[in-house]
Parts: sequence; C-alpha cells; structure tokens
Amino acid sequence: MKRWWLALIPLALGLIGTVVGVAAGDRRRIVVTWQFEWIWVQLGLLVTVVLLLVIAVRAALRRRELRSRENAVAGERAERRRFVDRLDHELKNPVTAIRLGLSNLPETEVAAGLDAQAQRLTRLLADLRKLGEIENAQLEIAPVDLEALGREVVDAVGELPQSTDRSLAVSFPRAPRPLPPVRGDVDLLFLAVYNLVANALKFSQPGDRIELRGAEDEGGVTIEVADTGRGIPAEEQGLVWEELARGSHTRDVAGSGLGLPFVRTIVERHGGSVALRSRLGEGTSVRLRLPL
Amino acid sequence: MSIPPPTRPRVLLVDDESGIRDALAPFLSRSGFEVYTAEDGGEGLAAIERHSPALVVLDVMMPVLDGREVLRRLRREGSQLPVILLTQVGESFERAAALEEGADDYLNKPFDPQELVARIRAILRRVNAGQPALGGSAGLTAGAVRIDRVARRVWLDDREVTLTPRAFSLLDYLMTHPDEVLTRERLLAAVWGFDQPVASRAVDHRVAELRKVLADDSGTPIYVDTVQGVGYRFLHPVSRSSGGPSGAGGAGGAGGASGTRA
Repeated sequence: MKRWWLALIPLALGLIGTVVGVAAGDRRRIVVTWQFEWIWVQLGLLVTVVLLLVIAVRAALRRRELRSRENAVAGERAERRRFVDRLDHELKNPVTAIRLGLSNLPETEVAAGLDAQAQRLTRLLADLRKLGEIENAQLEIAPVDLEALGREVVDAVGELPQSTDRSLAVSFPRAPRPLPPVRGDVDLLFLAVYNLVANALKFSQPGDRIELRGAEDEGGVTIEVADTGRGIPAEEQGLVWEELARGSHTRDVAGSGLGLPFVRTIVERHGGSVALRSRLGEGTSVRLRLPL
Repeated sequence: MSIPPPTRPRVLLVDDESGIRDALAPFLSRSGFEVYTAEDGGEGLAAIERHSPALVVLDVMMPVLDGREVLRRLRREGSQLPVILLTQVGESFERAAALEEGADDYLNKPFDPQELVARIRAILRRVNAGQPALGGSAGLTAGAVRIDRVARRVWLDDREVTLTPRAFSLLDYLMTHPDEVLTRERLLAAVWGFDQPVASRAVDHRVAELRKVLADDSGTPIYVDTVQGVGYRFLHPVSRSSGGPSGAGGAGGAGGASGTRA
C-alpha cells in the first residue's frame, strides 16, 4: 500500500481539466434529468458495489497476511536448515581429525572409548547429512503400491530385536477397493514408513500392540502407524518434527532425534503431510497423507 | 625410520586442514605408503609434477583452487592419475559431480581411516595389474555392455537399453569398481547418498532391475555377482572406451600419465 498516492492521479487530472476549462472561459452546461422511481434501485446498486469492494479488499488483505505468515514459517524452516547444514559442515573436519588422530594412538581402553564417541558423532553427522540429501535429492517418481511397501516394511522390521515380543498388525482395505497406487519414490517412502514402525517398536514395551493401517480418502491415501507405547507429553508434541529434538521421557532410548524430521521431509517432498496424535501413557499414532 | 621397501606406492594427500594432514599422513605411512602432502590445490598440482604419485587423496573444499578444479585440470590434460575425493558438502550433486568429473572414488568426511586405506589399495591393485584406473574414462565396456558415462546411456550388443537413473548410477559404480566386493551400505552411500542399512532392499531391487535389463542370470551371472550376506561384485573385466553410441570397445590405457612405479 505504498503507492496509494497513485489513486490521486485521476483527481489531479480532473482538477487540471477544470482549471483549463475555467481559464478558457468554457461556460457549457450538462443538464441530467432523473426519474425519481428509479432512485431506489440506483441507491441499492451503489451500496452493493461499495460493499463488494469492501469485501474484496478485506479478502485480499487476509490472503496477504496468510501468505506472509506462510513465508515466515518457510523462512524459519529454511533458516534452521541452513544452520543445521553449517553445523554439519563445521563439525566434519574436526571430527575427521579426531578419528584420524585416535587411529594413530596405541590401542588402549581410553582410546577405544574416545573412538566410540567419535563414531557416535560421525553417525549424527551422517543423519544430519541424510536430511539435507533428502531435501535436495532428485526423486525417482513411479507408481508405488503402498500395501506391498507396508508389508515389506513389516518384513524388514522383523529383523529388529524388539519385534519378537510386540504384536504387529497390518491392515489394508479390500472394500470398496484396495489402495490405489500413489506416485512417489519407492525407496524414500519405504524409509519413511520403516522409520515410523521402528519408532513405534522403540517406544513400546513387550506386549504392546502396533498397527500399520492404510486408508483412502478424498484425493489422497493415508498410512497410519499406531502403537500402545509410552506416548508423548502434550507440551512436547509440537517439537517432535524438529531436528535434534528429543523428548524428556526418551532419555533411556538411543536415537538422534532426526527420525521424524526425516519422515516429514520425505512426505513433504511428495506433496503430502504428516500428523501426530499421542496421549502420555496410552500410545501414539502418526499418520502420513500422500496425494493421489 | 627403517629403509622403506622399494614398492611403497607414493600417495599425495591434499587438504587445507593441518589437523587432517598431520593425523592422516602418519596413518597412511604406517599403512605402507610413501606420503607427500600439500595444503591447497595449486600446491597439489605442483606436487603431482614433482613427485609423480601413484594416487592422490584430494579434499574438495579448499581455498583458492578447490579439489574439483584440480581434478578437472588433471583430466583435461589427459591424466588418468587415480584420485580419491574427500567430500564434505555430502549432498547428492556433490557426489555425482565428483564421480562425473572423473574421480575414481570418494569418501564423505568424517571417514573411517581404514576404509580410506582399503579404497586406495583397491585402486592401486588394478593399476599395478597393468589396468588403468577407470574413473577418468568417458565410457566403459564389459562384454556386451557398454556405457557412456557422460550422457548416461547404456548399450547391450549395440542395442540401447533404458535404465532408471539410480540403476544407471549403480551400474556405473559397479563397473568402475570391477572385481571389488561392494557392500550394500557402500552402494547405498554412492548411489543414494545415505547408508541406512535397512534401505539395502533398495539396492537389491535395483540390482534385480539391472540383471533383467542386461539379461544376466543371478544363478550363473556374467556381470553382477551376489556376495551372500555382504553385497555385490562386478565380475566381468571392464575396459575403457570412448563415450557415444558408436564408440568401439577399445581396451588400453592411452594417456596414462601416472608414474605408478616411480
């Protein structure tokens, strides 16, 4: 709204016209006659036009506000990404030097302990890098059968030690029809669903139940992974999608706090969305929605 | 220090970080290499002239003349000197660019020093057997299979076949490392950019695609052999060829400028 004065140009032009007319001695007149019974319609029309203008201006303002808020969120996310990239970048050389230096030391218990920590840092850096990779990677888009993918994930998590004493149920619709294929990168979608099921195993106890469900809705397909595990406190639920965020109640479980951001990045690159519902002590459900 | 045996291969290490040079040089030296160091790209090129190393370990991110520019200049001059790049940006384009510009291998920082030594030895084994390093070649031929690494095209018996981009990258990596056992994790890192072990199924799926397109039977493979529980190995001998559809599958390492046994 910096150029509001442009709106004054017609008035200025009119003023110039009148001044020129007066100076030139123009004395012509226009006489308009008005039929009185039409005045009500014309007044109504005038009010309607004014109201429509007000509505249009308000809608435009709202759209602008929404856009600037979205830009702010996207900007914030990009900024955090850049920070994480810089962190990754700045840590790489020192960690490389530490690992190399340790490999030059005679093998002692201390050196072995330090090397284990350096390897942990290496893994963290690899995970951070993975996020950057996913954000920039070229997707190989092809039709993906999510049911086959879900069953493959269940086979793959079968190799995890926790999978033996939890019950893992898989359900995909048959009626009115099986899930239609989505267009996506099968390797990345596999990783996303695998991460969710592995998470559910990680944050549950022997005897807990984990369900992997597929469903179709208007214009999309959802994959939901639900568990009867420990759940997440309400005040921490907004943080789970952020890089390196670790819940206060998860200190006993190994992890980098990059699993869910990884999942979200994959899903968002497919134009989809993620949502999490959880109750402390009752369990958690994470739902991925992919557009059809 | 004792007198080094005459067969110690010369390795040049180019990295601007003194912390890495100071720690890596003695490690490589203990691993049986004669090590020279340089702290930037310009110095690296001069050191290549002066010492004619058998292999160069080259950091990508360096001030003034970075590792990729050094590699580009070497390849432009027709040098086939084997180069391992140490990348740290770690993004897919960096890795793809590294391999496309003629690196023989690359490692992401921070890397396991033993892994670096294993990669150096694998490349030198080929070179010492009288076969040229393959990283700098625009095209490769193995039996009926020919690839143009620049245009990313594949021919089987002079008939062009199509592969998905990742299957091509996988074939390219396998063919540039023939007769090496490549773990699924390493193939994942090279082709997909991350090495989450659970994703190894992705490698299996692409290998299945390759075998189908190349009509290679997994029971009696000519090209891609399964190494049970580990990964894969490219079986067929690979020779350099020019890129392009009509490139004859010529062998030989013309232009090999590396003074291997200097």
